[in-house]
Amino acid sequence: MNTTEFLSLVKSRGATIYPAAAKRDTELANNALQSRRCAMLPSVFLDLYNFASAINIGNGYIFGPINVDRGINAPIPSIVDININLISTPEIRGKTIFGRNDLFWFAFDAFGTFYMLDNLSLRVLRKYDDPYRAMTDCLIAGKF
Amino acid sequence: MQLSQDAAEQRIADLGMDDMPLEPLRPTPHQIAPDWFKRYHELVHAFTTTLTDSIQELAISLNLSQQDFIDLIMGRRIPTNLSVRFRVPLVWGGKLEIDNLFMCLTFPYSHNMDRFIIEQAGNDVIWLPNPSKKIYIPTHLGGIGDGGNATQDRLSEIATQIATSRGME
Repeated sequence: MNTTEFLSLVKSRGATIYPAAAKRDTELANNALQSRRCAMLPSVFLDLYNFASAINIGNGYIFGPINVDRGINAPIPSIVDININLISTPEIRGKTIFGRNDLFWFAFDAFGTFYMLDNLSLRVLRKYDDPYRAMTDCLIAGKF
Repeated sequence: MQLSQDAAEQRIADLGMDDMPLEPLRPTPHQIAPDWFKRYHELVHAFTTTLTDSIQELAISLNLSQQDFIDLIMGRRIPTNLSVRFRVPLVWGGKLEIDNLFMCLTFPYSHNMDRFIIEQAGNDVIWLPNPSKKIYIPTHLGGIGDGGNATQDRLSEIATQIATSRGME
């Protein structure tokens, strides 16, 4: 699967795909993650952000490099904001949270492994070699 | 580090929910039925259809449109930025029952409740958010508190404002 096929798949399942992020925003987000000792964005995400600044199905979210403003009650935080708030959480050290739904959080590490995490403890529930599979699970599990 | 009740209340206030009731729980792992995910989805649908008694919270505090409200109570769609959470998580013995669910805004509240619980990982006693109503809206966002005649007062106030603005008084 590639980014276009992934976006096509999740769109067919009802995803809202927010407009592409500016390259500069992606670079700034990557630098911010690096300076906070989070895992840097893998190439899959650098490519994804060329097409989408965030993705949402129901309560499933893939975070983007900037906040997405959807009105007063519904902003989607950026991947940087999400991870800044977790700096003091030892369970997430070396990983970057990239998505969530009402049951699970999703992360990647610097070695290109993707994870499904328990949203009560951040314990690893599942590992993925295929990033698109991880992102699809994150979004589809949030579908109502 | 184990949180005292005061420390837990302070932390949840720091996360923007100073009116959130907390319940202590000694987490003991429970077996979860293999078909839990399917049943969870069915339960969330059933939960939304019970929200006809929460019109004040949905229409006034959350400002849902009529279409969003109808879609929600018909079990067709959950409006943007709303989450359904377990009061007691399944892995700690929570039941797959409507009474074990509540609804709140995903960002920031549901996400911050996750953070609040994650920060307590490994403790003997976990403080869990347990709002009194089916929908949690902080009072500073226009949430309607327990007891009294706050709802009646609010509706009367809104009705007066509308009447005034239309020159009906």
